[in-house]
Amino acid sequence: MPEFSIQSSVDIARRLEIRGSDSRSWVVLLLPSGSSDTALRNLLGDLSSLLQRPTRVFDLRSSSFEKLSEILHEPEDDIVVLVAKTNLDTERWSALDLMRSGLERKGPIILWLSPDCVPNLSEQAPNIRSFVGGSIFYVGPDGGLMSEADRQKRLAELVQFYGLSNKEVVNRAQAKTLPSEPHFVEWLVLLGRGDLV
Amino acid sequence: MVSAPREGRPSVTLEDAKKRAHSLDMEIHARIGGFSLESPHKVVSAVRAYLIRRAGEISVENNPWKFLKFSGSSEGAWLITMGPTIDRGDTEEHFHFDTGARLSFGLTLQEEGSKSRLLSFRYQYNLPDGKSPRFLRFDLNRSAHADPLQEPLCHLHPGLEEARLPFFIHSPLEILDRIFFVIDKNL
Repeated sequence: MPEFSIQSSVDIARRLEIRGSDSRSWVVLLLPSGSSDTALRNLLGDLSSLLQRPTRVFDLRSSSFEKLSEILHEPEDDIVVLVAKTNLDTERWSALDLMRSGLERKGPIILWLSPDCVPNLSEQAPNIRSFVGGSIFYVGPDGGLMSEADRQKRLAELVQFYGLSNKEVVNRAQAKTLPSEPHFVEWLVLLGRGDLV
Repeated sequence: MVSAPREGRPSVTLEDAKKRAHSLDMEIHARIGGFSLESPHKVVSAVRAYLIRRAGEISVENNPWKFLKFSGSSEGAWLITMGPTIDRGDTEEHFHFDTGARLSFGLTLQEEGSKSRLLSFRYQYNLPDGKSPRFLRFDLNRSAHADPLQEPLCHLHPGLEEARLPFFIHSPLEILDRIFFVIDKNL
């Protein structure tokens, strides 16, 4: 299987925003193993708030494709996510490919798939695969998630500004003598001591 | 001899001022305690969307896609930041306004099921050079101070580090509304 780049849901939202509101975009997002429903909820939240459009989700394993082709146009400009957490059989991929004209719409369609769907998508649904083109990515960590370097930089800023060590801050929080200003709450969260805030 | 204040006439001692401040602090504490937000991830999304929309309306370049960050959960506590933790001057990580002002903030939330609750915030809006006051900072402390007259739970620093005036707005987007649409528009 070819290597695909990793994109966060924020990256995907940004990509769709740049393409415009009626871009007819098709995007495939491949789930990392063990991915939970939280990742899908986060994707929906990011897309909905960043693109200011509602989202709908349909399961490709259980949805009737005839019905799907109708409801994708009612409305046809919201964000639709078609989910297959496990691979579909070859007949179902072929049937989806035959319905491709009925699935075309103004708003974006995101295929939220397990990685083992890719060979069948390419072989049994070549027309849909061509709609997707190069827009096939692994779902990465949340966009904007603070890096370890950033966390350390922020902690160093606090240590320098207040003249306290991280250990002293934890000790004071445990002794309930830590000031209640916002910086000290941030400090504890950055130290992974949310239990002390 | 000083007579006791008559009914309807405000008391004028420092002790009375502290009592009034304490009463106000309790009221704000109760209001914030009952104030519920969406899940931390949805709050991050909403704030990011807000800043991206504002960035599109002003000509100075900003990159909230990159510089709005969050820490992830520590025992259910989340930190959302824009710009540096300590403001020591302009950085590319600040949100910049056409007026020359800049904004940085840090917001902490406690996750509660599918919702969240505010723990603290600080929004520091630095006015452009030459403007007075030098900065405005909106703070929500984690807990009440022993002297709520000097340090109300939720307060505004009007350009003075040691002066804190009570402040009532605590919704993250409503504070941004005031900064973007009221304060910055009137510079």
